[in-house]
Order: sequence, then structure tokens, then C-alpha cells
Amino acid sequence: MNSFGIKIRPGLSIFDQVVSGAQKAILSKELEKGQTFPSVRSLAVDLKIHPNTAHKAVQYLIQEKWLEVQPGIGTVVAGCPRKPSETRRHVIEQDVAMLVAEARRVGLELEELVDSIRKSWSKTQKSVEETAR
Amino acid sequence: MIKTHDLSKTYRSCGALRALSLKVAEGSAFALVGANGAGKTTLIKILVNLIQASSGSAYVLGVDSRQLSPQQFRRIGYVSENQELPGRLTVSGYLNYLRPFYPDWDIALEREITQRFKLPGDRKINELSHGMRVKMALACALPYHPRLLILDEPFSGLDPLVRDEFMEGLAAQAGDMTVLISSHDLGEVEGFATDIAFVDSGRLLFQEPLETLTDRVQQIKVTVERQSTRRDAVPETWIDIQETGNVLTFVDTQFSEFDLGERIRSRIDGVRDIEVQPMSLRAIFTSISRATRSVQE
Repeated sequence: MNSFGIKIRPGLSIFDQVVSGAQKAILSKELEKGQTFPSVRSLAVDLKIHPNTAHKAVQYLIQEKWLEVQPGIGTVVAGCPRKPSETRRHVIEQDVAMLVAEARRVGLELEELVDSIRKSWSKTQKSVEETAR
Repeated sequence: MIKTHDLSKTYRSCGALRALSLKVAEGSAFALVGANGAGKTTLIKILVNLIQASSGSAYVLGVDSRQLSPQQFRRIGYVSENQELPGRLTVSGYLNYLRPFYPDWDIALEREITQRFKLPGDRKINELSHGMRVKMALACALPYHPRLLILDEPFSGLDPLVRDEFMEGLAAQAGDMTVLISSHDLGEVEGFATDIAFVDSGRLLFQEPLETLTDRVQQIKVTVERQSTRRDAVPETWIDIQETGNVLTFVDTQFSEFDLGERIRSRIDGVRDIEVQPMSLRAIFTSISRATRSVQE
């Protein structure tokens, strides 16, 4: 089993990556409210990270109320603790920063970047609609 | 858990370790990183009393490594790339042989590990592939719940699939145990290690938690308006400076976001854009080794 599609990228904090990976999965409903969350051990094995790091990430998510401990069941998904729109923005920030940096490096203007985001967005939108049909 | 002070080892006239002082905290996953011949294996062999240091001291589990007795070895697991295993015994034969030496041997765990690694119990050890033998060595070192696990270049010669299996097996058991792992395969240890020590030519360059290292060392890419602009003396903390076209890249070993633009613009003219990129452990290692080497030359 792969823990909700997290791929550990080198150079970035492992803790941050696990936390934001879990948050993204919860926001996208890949992990639904009430669903059991992988145990610390299986998380560590899947991602090949130190169990202490996995433990820290799970504890943080519990503390921030993304997860909750249900006696007898284990750790389950509690849902999104804050206003989803704010949180959605927050979890994507890092990806946006990387995109912006890359765009600036190749000398793109803001308008051009926004434009290509728009194009890509509508392209995705179209394929989603086609699939829906 | 491990503590060395001014540890030195000389082979004939060649210094393999030079006054190396290191501290491995309990519960950490400590990666010992360095090029071939940096002295990693020598250090590990001294720690497990396979060889003796020329001078200095080494303490393992609170005991002078020269005084290590079976009492301590029962709590130390050791896996090296060239582990000697009795080739004529079968996998289960050897596990049966080891079991009585360790009062804390956990049969359920032994079974779990041999199943995870798919080790064929009835096969003779000298008929196993290299990957299987390394997994076998780990399977022999884990079932007694060692407090300290020492792995010397466990990944060399292993294909990616076996490495994955090995890391999974390790991650499943790591918990409270302290792990010292020497490797130049930095991709493998990056997610796992909590602490890093860089060894070069028998010296310890530094040791620190992985998180502070990856925060502190960042690659900076500066795009300038055009080539050959003014460039004042750069600080010593900027290493591995490279220039291609109008892009200047370097590694800042004391990175801080504060005043970054100011510090760069005061030294380089015509800055159009500054980009900060986090570095993988492998990239950090390469840059630092390159910088150390050019200083020595």
C-alpha cells in the first residue's frame, strides 16, 4: 500500500512533506472523514522514513485536529479543521512557490504565467467534463 | 550511546582516522557519510572492537569499546557489506545456531523478518545471492531487539528493489533502537536519518541534525543581466561557485533568508533574479566534498 501518494522529495523537511501530504489527501477526500489513518509503523515502512518522524507527523496532525484517536480503532481522519478554502491555499503554497521560481528563472512575466495557468486549468477542466459525460 | 574522543588510527604511515570526536545520541538514526577511504569502516571496526585505535577513546553503550563483552554484544547488531556468514549452514540452521546466544531473541519477530525478506529457510547460505545475504545479515541482527544497530555500507551492490526491502525492514524495526549507518548512498538514508556526520580523510567535518543541515545549506541561483559583471570577494560560506551563461550558482552553507538579496546584490552587479533551492543530501555532500578538496589542493 502506498500512503496516500506521498513521494518523499529530497532536500525538504520529511516532517513537512508527510504533514502536507496527509492534508492534501484529506482535502481531496482521498482520505475521507472517519477512515482509519495508516499506523506510524506502516507509514514509516511505506515511505522508508524513521518511525520517530512518522510519529511526530501523526501527533502534529492529531494536535491540529486533522486526525483523531478513537479508542479501540486507532487513528482516524477527523476532516479539515479550519475553513477549507484557506487551508487549500496553504497546502499548495510550496508548489506555487516552486512554479513561480521556475517561471522567473526562464524569464516569464507574471501575466504570462497566469495565462498559462489559465490555459492549463481550462484544459484540465475540459478533460474532467469529458470524463463526466 | 556512542562517544569517541580524539580517535586516531594509523595504518603504517597512513592516517585513516585523525582525532575524530563524535557523539551519537540514543534513539537517533545517525548517518556516517563520506567518500570511499574516508575512514568510515575503520571507525566502525574500532567501535565494535574488531580493530584497535592508535590513540584516543571510543565508548559504546557506556563501555570502552576495547572492553566490550558478550553482555554488550547481545545488545548490538552489526551488519557490514562483507559480512562473514557460515556458507555451509542453511538459513534456518544459522538462525537456530544464533538464537541461544541471545536471551532476548524474539521468535515471532524473526519469523516476521524472514517472511518480509522472503528468506528460504532450507537454502544454504553460500547459495544465496548477494542481496539475499545482506538481508540475511540484517535478519540475524534484528530479532534480539538490539539497542544499537550498526550498518556498514549495507546498500553497496544491492539493486533498487532489494534496497527498498532492506529500508522497509529497517524502518519497521527502528523504533527505540539507535542506528548508525555508514553509506555513500545518500538517497537511501535521506528519509531515514535524523543526524548526519560528514567524514573526510579521517576527519569529522561536522555532525548535526539533518533538519538543520538541510535548512542551513541551500543552493542559490542568481540570474544576472549580462555576463562578466562586478563581483566582489565572496564570503567563505559560499562554496561550489559555478557560472554558466548569465546564471551564477553557488551553495550557501550558512543560509538565512534575512537580508539575502541585500547580501547578494552588494557583491554582484546586475542581479535580475535570485532563486533559493533546497538541496538533497547527495547534492550537499558533493558540494562540500568538492569544496574541501579544492581547499586541500
